[in-house]
Amino acid sequence: MYSADIRQPLVTGGKTYANVTEDICRPIENKPTKSWWTGFIIAIILLLVLVVSLSWTVWEGIGTWNVNKSVMWGWDITNFVFWVGIGHAGTLISAILLLFRQKWRMSINRSAEAMTIFAVFCAAIFPLFHMGRIWMMYWTLPLPNAFGSLWVNFHSPLLWDVFAISTYLSVSLVFWYIGLIPDIATIRDRATTKARKFWYGLFAMGWNGSAKSWGRYEIVALILAGISTPLVLSVHTIVSMDFATSVIPGWHTTIFPPYFVAGAIFSGFGMVLTLLLIVRQVMNYKDYITTEHLEAMTKVILLTGSIVGLAYITEFVIAAYSGYEYEQYAFANRMFGPYAWAYWTMMFCNLVAPQVFWSKWARTTPWFIFIISIIVNIGMWFERFVIIVTSLHRDFLPSSWVMYHASWVEVGIFLGTFGLFFTCFFLFAKFMPVINMAEIKTIIKDKE
Amino acid sequence: MSSNNYWKGVEELEQTQEFVSSNANEFSEGLPLEKIFSNDDATRANRRDFLKYFGFGLGAVTLAACNKTPLKKAIPYIEKPDNVTPGVPLFYASGSVSNSEGFPVLVKVREGRPIKFEPNKEAAYFGGGLDGLGHSAILSLYDTNRLKGAMKAREHSPTEWKKFDKEVVIALKKTTASGKSIALITNGSTSLVTNQAIADFTAKYSNTEVVSYEPISYSGITRANNTSFGSAIIPAYNFENADVIVSFGADFLGTWISPIKFHSDYGSNRVPKDGKMSKHYQFESLMSLTGANADIRVPIKMSNVGQHLIALYRELGGATAHNGMETAGNTIKQAAEDLKAAKGKCLVVCGSNNEQDQILVNAINILLNNYGSTIDTTNYYKGQSADESSFESFTKKAKSGAYGAVITLDVNPTYSNDAAKAAFAKIPVRISTAITMDETSRNATHVATGLHPLESWNIQEPYKGRFILSQPTISPVFDGRAATTSLLAWAGADVSDKKELSHAYNYTKSVFINTIGGNFNAAIEKGVIENTSSVNVPSFNVTTEGIIETISSRKKTETELILYQKVGVRDGTYGNTPWAHEMPDPVSKVTWDNYLSVSMPDAKKNDWKNGDVLKVTTSTGSIEIPVLIQPGQSKGTYGIALGYGRVLPEEVKNDLKDLGKNVYPMVDMKSGNANYTIAGVTFEKVAGARLYEFGITQTHYSIEGRDIIREASLDAFRKDPKAGQHFHKPKPISLWHDHDYSKGHHWAMAIDLNSCTGCSACIVSCSIENNVPIVGRDEVRRRREMHWLRIDRYYSFEAPEAKELSVSIVYGGNQTVAKGEYMSQEKVMEAYSDNSENEDTAYDYYQNVKVAHQPMMCQHCDNAPCETVCPVLATTHSTEGLNQMTYNRCIGTKYCGNNCPYKVRRFNWFRYNENEKFDYHFSNDLGKMVINPDVTVRSRGVMEKCSFCVQRIQSAKLTAKRDNRKLGTDEFTVACAQTCPSNAIVFGDLNDKTSEISKLYKNERSYHVIEEIGTKPSVQYLTKIRNKQESINKNIH
Repeated sequence: MYSADIRQPLVTGGKTYANVTEDICRPIENKPTKSWWTGFIIAIILLLVLVVSLSWTVWEGIGTWNVNKSVMWGWDITNFVFWVGIGHAGTLISAILLLFRQKWRMSINRSAEAMTIFAVFCAAIFPLFHMGRIWMMYWTLPLPNAFGSLWVNFHSPLLWDVFAISTYLSVSLVFWYIGLIPDIATIRDRATTKARKFWYGLFAMGWNGSAKSWGRYEIVALILAGISTPLVLSVHTIVSMDFATSVIPGWHTTIFPPYFVAGAIFSGFGMVLTLLLIVRQVMNYKDYITTEHLEAMTKVILLTGSIVGLAYITEFVIAAYSGYEYEQYAFANRMFGPYAWAYWTMMFCNLVAPQVFWSKWARTTPWFIFIISIIVNIGMWFERFVIIVTSLHRDFLPSSWVMYHASWVEVGIFLGTFGLFFTCFFLFAKFMPVINMAEIKTIIKDKE
Repeated sequence: MSSNNYWKGVEELEQTQEFVSSNANEFSEGLPLEKIFSNDDATRANRRDFLKYFGFGLGAVTLAACNKTPLKKAIPYIEKPDNVTPGVPLFYASGSVSNSEGFPVLVKVREGRPIKFEPNKEAAYFGGGLDGLGHSAILSLYDTNRLKGAMKAREHSPTEWKKFDKEVVIALKKTTASGKSIALITNGSTSLVTNQAIADFTAKYSNTEVVSYEPISYSGITRANNTSFGSAIIPAYNFENADVIVSFGADFLGTWISPIKFHSDYGSNRVPKDGKMSKHYQFESLMSLTGANADIRVPIKMSNVGQHLIALYRELGGATAHNGMETAGNTIKQAAEDLKAAKGKCLVVCGSNNEQDQILVNAINILLNNYGSTIDTTNYYKGQSADESSFESFTKKAKSGAYGAVITLDVNPTYSNDAAKAAFAKIPVRISTAITMDETSRNATHVATGLHPLESWNIQEPYKGRFILSQPTISPVFDGRAATTSLLAWAGADVSDKKELSHAYNYTKSVFINTIGGNFNAAIEKGVIENTSSVNVPSFNVTTEGIIETISSRKKTETELILYQKVGVRDGTYGNTPWAHEMPDPVSKVTWDNYLSVSMPDAKKNDWKNGDVLKVTTSTGSIEIPVLIQPGQSKGTYGIALGYGRVLPEEVKNDLKDLGKNVYPMVDMKSGNANYTIAGVTFEKVAGARLYEFGITQTHYSIEGRDIIREASLDAFRKDPKAGQHFHKPKPISLWHDHDYSKGHHWAMAIDLNSCTGCSACIVSCSIENNVPIVGRDEVRRRREMHWLRIDRYYSFEAPEAKELSVSIVYGGNQTVAKGEYMSQEKVMEAYSDNSENEDTAYDYYQNVKVAHQPMMCQHCDNAPCETVCPVLATTHSTEGLNQMTYNRCIGTKYCGNNCPYKVRRFNWFRYNENEKFDYHFSNDLGKMVINPDVTVRSRGVMEKCSFCVQRIQSAKLTAKRDNRKLGTDEFTVACAQTCPSNAIVFGDLNDKTSEISKLYKNERSYHVIEEIGTKPSVQYLTKIRNKQESINKNIH
């Protein structure tokens, strides 16, 4: 296909098909590097923190957290929404961008999808462990049961969450796995050890690379993309309904679904950028993840950041205009109350900081993008904290106004989820191709 | 034709039509499928049922196989006692004691264990309600740290009573032989039985000296009455007859003399009837519960009470002018006008313990013709009348070695009197009759372990001619013996049981017959007997000139420390009842601790904040105590509560241990009477001390101008009964269909904010009824108290002058505050203080406070926000309007708690029972006896909340059903409503048109809290009406 010279190549360095296979299989076939070990051990330590904190929570009770009679959700649900939000970019990149035929997605979609799945794992921890009686968690499923005519409450947004998250996780997992099959087959074919041959052979499910297989593969990918696309919108819409359908001032807002979806994509791209910048550096994939990719993603960040910022301002204006004193107070309290520092951190990180991406230099300077991506992650965590905690800590009756500060167990669980996330990610980077070899080979001669 | 040689029968051989058609079917008879699939026949299992049974069977077997069920023994009665049916409570009229005051109760007994106090409606005179401390007293029955039997000093195991008695008698005889006296210290007892036993004992040991002792002294009143009328008594006050009440520092609703009775009397006159209600002036220093309820409250210095009394006396025409008096002149004038208009139907009381002040109060009441109507000196109050001179002369004589033995009869002077310890040290034989190892018992040589009031027979006479009869409702939990029995045993009486009747019973009966007379059994059944005399008006014969002279020559003080009692703990006698400590103070909302209460201007001036630890030094010593800033408190006054710092047995490991600071040693005894207002106090910030964190249940004090408590002045109410109710709010549209309550019951509650004083008795009653766990100070600090019912308390502050304020636009923008307007928004108050030119007076307006109390519990909303969000339907709506909580179904997502606009849901953060960390009473076998068996003890991880006492509803319905009748109107009520001393809470069936609640629902004052969000609550509040001039009330939109 002809493309004008003005277009930038999608893969630089004049890679051949063989180069691609070599480059991408190298970390899988060789012994792990020192930097891999360092990262992995840190992640494992954090994972242990998670195990300890969660065990303590289950052993002693939710009382080990500092949530209280008014703020019954604190860091737990903040973290839940934070991680679910992060989980959005993967599907967006692989599904929506696939449908829009954005070829630049091909070198990043694999790791973005992996990130999605691990983020959803991390997210799932919170709604499960915030339950007072986690051992009864299966009661949230509409299972036939021996308790008489007990059934779940379809009015409850928490139940919608159960469906939304589990659907999202299963579809993402299938999508990711289907995409992995040709690459797993490549590794199987190159395998030099028996174990590798067996395991990769098992997961390659007899992929033979025939035209028929490829034809079906592509169709399945398209169908799954079609299924996933509404999920990108639905999951965070439903998560936002946990708040939007309640009566609490600051939660009870119809703007939440689009605002949450935009925020999720924003935070998801923030996290994808953070990870890719690390992978690109550590694994030396600069030819595959080029500044073109980074620039494209920063543009998404700029757009969604601005949408989120607009939502913040809209929310405030509507509250002021509502004539509803509780709503007005809730927003005044966010800006100037005891948690104002959290609000202004959020405003800076999410609304102000991404505006630097109007500058071409900012969009193409990896170290700078890395800093902004971290800021975006922090900002989006604070967004959820602000929504949840500042709304609850001062609601209708001033007699129940409280302050809330996390306990070490809550902090431990949050840090621990990073342990889980990175442990999964490091294992993924070691055992699976981080870049989709099969797809990237179709575009090494393409331009943007 | 088939080649078959064998046939099933002739039919096959003949190939009849019937056979051919039936042979075509697989089953010749057909399956009874229809029968199975029809629902008519419930005895057969269909497929779904089969799966259910199968699933249940499998599950049950699996569970049974892998779970070792803890072995718990339930032992049936071998011989069932008469009248005891397991599961059916019995109620006994009896009496209990709290704060040295006897009060009548109905004791609810389940399977032989008393589990709750309920008010005895026969005893209307005593108030018909109970307070928090009174309720808590039941737990002291089941205190594991009670003494187990007669003990010699410092021996940890009980000795036999016979041996013990012998030793005591020898010791007493030795004392007698040596010519020394025996001191018998008793609490100026109202008990006829005790008095008789003392008389019997004294007859035997003529060298006995009876010393009366009370931790809190009212000698100012008794001495004043002795001077004024010739009898050293505390009169009976009848607040129900008073249309105008003027109180000078007397916290009669909280802690002064007999608050339960005062509560109900006061409350009966606070609901506007025909446009009339009583008017209450309060002049006080600290912010008391009584002050919080006053129509007009004036902050003064306690040391200045006398000046105010003189001013009032003068206004009433009793004295001539004096110069240089610092008084709230205008309000005094106004109060005098009102008093004059209500001559004979008003009451002036004073909390000062100074004889001269009280004589002046008597003179004022004489001027106002109040004797005989609101003050009764004939059927006077007999409790708490001990004069401290009695104990003072005892300590003096003890130091000189005059006593050979001392018997402390249910009193604990070592704790509450600084001189006691040194005095006791001089006496070789010290006998105590306490039931726990209290401070006095610890230093005793012999402990003749006594009995809890619920284990004893008794006849008390708290008011002259009004008797409370106590019967035991449980046999002694440990091997104690009634103090009176011990006395008699030592006096040589035979105290063994006669014909299976205990000595105490026989003795009590004989006392009854000798002093009161009549049918003992009938009296015991009723619990109270009245035998009062017609009221006489005493003649007052004192000239007040000299008294006025002395009072006006008193020295002015810059700072003064006021030692007061807290509503929860009172004098500290029952320092070991955790319920009383976890009950938040009605005004400060602090649980567990005592503290230095400081006024806002003083705190700002000295740059103190809540929790700063100060060293307080008086002439008798110093203590270190954290600061709590109290709005409404007068500048220059400081308060510390008595009743804390108890030394409890070593076994106590929970928050009761080392609780607060004991300030009894600071009581000023120099002038021969106990003075609780201490001059010459210095305060110094303790360097390097950590900020102390209080367990406080409400930290935000202002109502933020929100329409949560509606109020109006009496004038406005007279003109328009819907005053204070005019809000233009949109009617919310509901997505839900209304519930249909047309059949059966429809439960609802109404709370009259006018009669609710905030006393918090309901909180304790609710906790006991519903097995609400006590969580301790640390959990309260984390804002996790479990109370199902709380009382919200809000302050608003009167602006002393008009001001233009600059308030941030997001908080409503710039505002004008008029003079006399009440500010109720935090930001407005901040701006008001910031706007002051004089820094010294910038916070003075914090003294002029208006307080509102609001009981808040589950509102049982028809459109309950909690119900829709529960993923597992653990909280649902009943057909009778209840919002039900199914603990077993709850998985603890806490979403319901978040979505509750009233924030009344409570979560079980920990396992509160069987947990050493929460060792209050849920964790030991004895303490658990108090658990109400009708209510589940909740497990960890589930949500709980007010159930409208569903167990009571159910029980009443079942009783009616069993009797084959309709449930009667207001036949039962819920625990909070039942105990409310001022009848502020009414519960009932809205479908019963004759019920009180149905009438109240039509009341013009009624409204729902935050009804604009469309929750449709089943709890209705009635507007608070204040009997004062309409002030500018801009804060109501």
